[in-house]
Amino acid sequence: MVETEPCSIQLNKIDWNDTSCLITYGPLPPKLLLSIQTVGLIEPPLVQGKKNGLFRIVCGGRRLAACKKIGLDSLTCRVLPSSLEHQKCLRLSIYDNVAHRTLNPIEKSLVLAKMLDYLEKPQLIDEFMPLLDLEPSITLFNRYLGLHDLEEVMLDSLAAGRLNERIAFALATQKQGDRLAYLRLFEELPFSVSVQEELVETVEDIARKENLTGEQILSSKELRALRQASKRPARQRAQEIRKHLQARRNPRLTARKERFAREARDLGLPSGVRLVPPPYFEGPKWILECTFERAEELASRLRHMAQLADQPELQGMMESKSDISSREVGN
Amino acid sequence: MTYHPEKLVIEEEVAGSPLVRSILAGLPGIPVQWVDRLGEERKSETGNALEIVKFKGRFVKACPGTRFYNCCGYQILNFGNQCSLGCSYCILQAYFSNPNLRLFANIDEMMQELREHLRNSPRAVHRIGTGEFTDSLLLDHLTRLSELLVPFFAKQPNAVLELKTKTAQVDLLEKLDHGGRTIVAWSLNPPEVIDREETTASSLKERLEAARRCQGWGYRLAFHFDPLLAYPKWKEGYGEVVDRLFSAVDPDGIVWISLGTLRFMPSLKVTIRHRHPLSIILDEEFVPGLDGKLRYFRDLRVEMYSHLKELLLSVHKDLCLYLCMESNDVWREALGFTPADRGGLSAMLDRQALF
Repeated sequence: MVETEPCSIQLNKIDWNDTSCLITYGPLPPKLLLSIQTVGLIEPPLVQGKKNGLFRIVCGGRRLAACKKIGLDSLTCRVLPSSLEHQKCLRLSIYDNVAHRTLNPIEKSLVLAKMLDYLEKPQLIDEFMPLLDLEPSITLFNRYLGLHDLEEVMLDSLAAGRLNERIAFALATQKQGDRLAYLRLFEELPFSVSVQEELVETVEDIARKENLTGEQILSSKELRALRQASKRPARQRAQEIRKHLQARRNPRLTARKERFAREARDLGLPSGVRLVPPPYFEGPKWILECTFERAEELASRLRHMAQLADQPELQGMMESKSDISSREVGN
Repeated sequence: MTYHPEKLVIEEEVAGSPLVRSILAGLPGIPVQWVDRLGEERKSETGNALEIVKFKGRFVKACPGTRFYNCCGYQILNFGNQCSLGCSYCILQAYFSNPNLRLFANIDEMMQELREHLRNSPRAVHRIGTGEFTDSLLLDHLTRLSELLVPFFAKQPNAVLELKTKTAQVDLLEKLDHGGRTIVAWSLNPPEVIDREETTASSLKERLEAARRCQGWGYRLAFHFDPLLAYPKWKEGYGEVVDRLFSAVDPDGIVWISLGTLRFMPSLKVTIRHRHPLSIILDEEFVPGLDGKLRYFRDLRVEMYSHLKELLLSVHKDLCLYLCMESNDVWREALGFTPADRGGLSAMLDRQALF
């Protein structure tokens, strides 16, 4: 148990630039300000005296920032001995925070990055990753460490929960311009996390094949038009963007789907009957769906389908064709 | 390029085995680390060690096929795993987390299991290969396993051995009595694909020269256009391969030619991007197959198979062509028949195996 001394500290003696023990990231919670204004500061922050006469924040950085914001000049803090090693101060900060809340991904990254100055990786992974509710793995460790270097706008989005950490991990490996282009898109339009992952992979594939950057693809004329079609609901614009990028990545599959739709229309299927190709047209099994309300309807629809089954057009619809020439796909 | 490890890691239990003696004789002065036991999956940073262990699993097993596509009924004789050729598309990158080549020194147990399998199995014909989890001939200059296996299969009335390789390491095959029961097979790709995606494998010229030599020694040959890779000018590329193939070997001596387009588990994509950043094999469009592997879109596969079929059968109309891991509809469209029309794929190849 570390001994502390309660002491009244002038807020202008706090070294706000010394963030060596701070692991919090994100805006000041409005309810913290309200709480302090209403009932005062309940739990004193923990600080450590420095040789230059200032005080390093160890625990309670937000409480101190809140007090400064509401105009207090001084407040009672608990003061750690200046002889206490820095690693111990950092541990105090970490364990104090995890004891009473879940850290956001940036804060987890800060914990790992700061403790790396004191511990070897294996020990750090074994002790701190479970503490942060993370699977102890070197791969996951490196991913979280990678978040540390992201731009502030990315960190803010991640801390606020607008950007999922799975996507942040994927974007951390991209160039800055690409990364920020994805962020703008994902903050602008509603894509689920799995669709965001799919879009990052799709754009990366297109970029490699066409020798472009992700940023160039995301700022193309076609995509800008889709994003800016403000008369359409955001969800619809998101779906159209996804469809556009899938078509660009998979021109053959897209052409095949278009041919199927056209030929199914031309085939003249009876009402209530639908032909369903195998997923991705892969495999031999096609499905005939027939809805009906009365037995006569079923009989009529099946008779009609029996006639169509003998037509060469139905067989043709099921067969491969070069729907687009090799030249069109760069072959 | 002849394989040469930087060091050997050998389990002490197999120190006196003929395989270890052969390898040590072939690599004088190489550093050796003796260990008690090597685990099943031992990760290594470099993959430059050759591991020699006592194998406790089954040496003979069925090729890991799938129920969704036609399988050829091939069997694997597992004398080791991994490969150092480092082809960008290789599934072994995902299959084995240990990048080191590993050989099984308990060859006597392997041969015993093989003998029992051939004696007790109800199969009429056995097509057995050693090139599924490694390259059949990559280490032959060290292991000299061909000197054991080829004469063994020569005496088998209903089994053939397929040695599948991307090397030209055939020197030891010259003087062996094969009895027509060993088929030497090469995977083939256009030179520009080999240069980019099979960077340490033998060149097309070297492979075909090795094939020519083997045919001259009376061996039957096979060729695997697998993986067939779609890239700009693939038609011209494979056209060149076929021209050069039939300039090098007599098609009458070819037992079978397989065609199989690129396919891989989705998890391999990240590995390919990471380890082979210059590879372009991921540029084409892929769809999930019935077995979960990513494959070229079906229409492209049919186009590629049809094109290769035309190229190959225009030279020799009786060549035995088959598709690897494809469904009946693709067979029908590309080759004009399904395996069932000819008694099943296994039966088709069994007939070829024992002519």
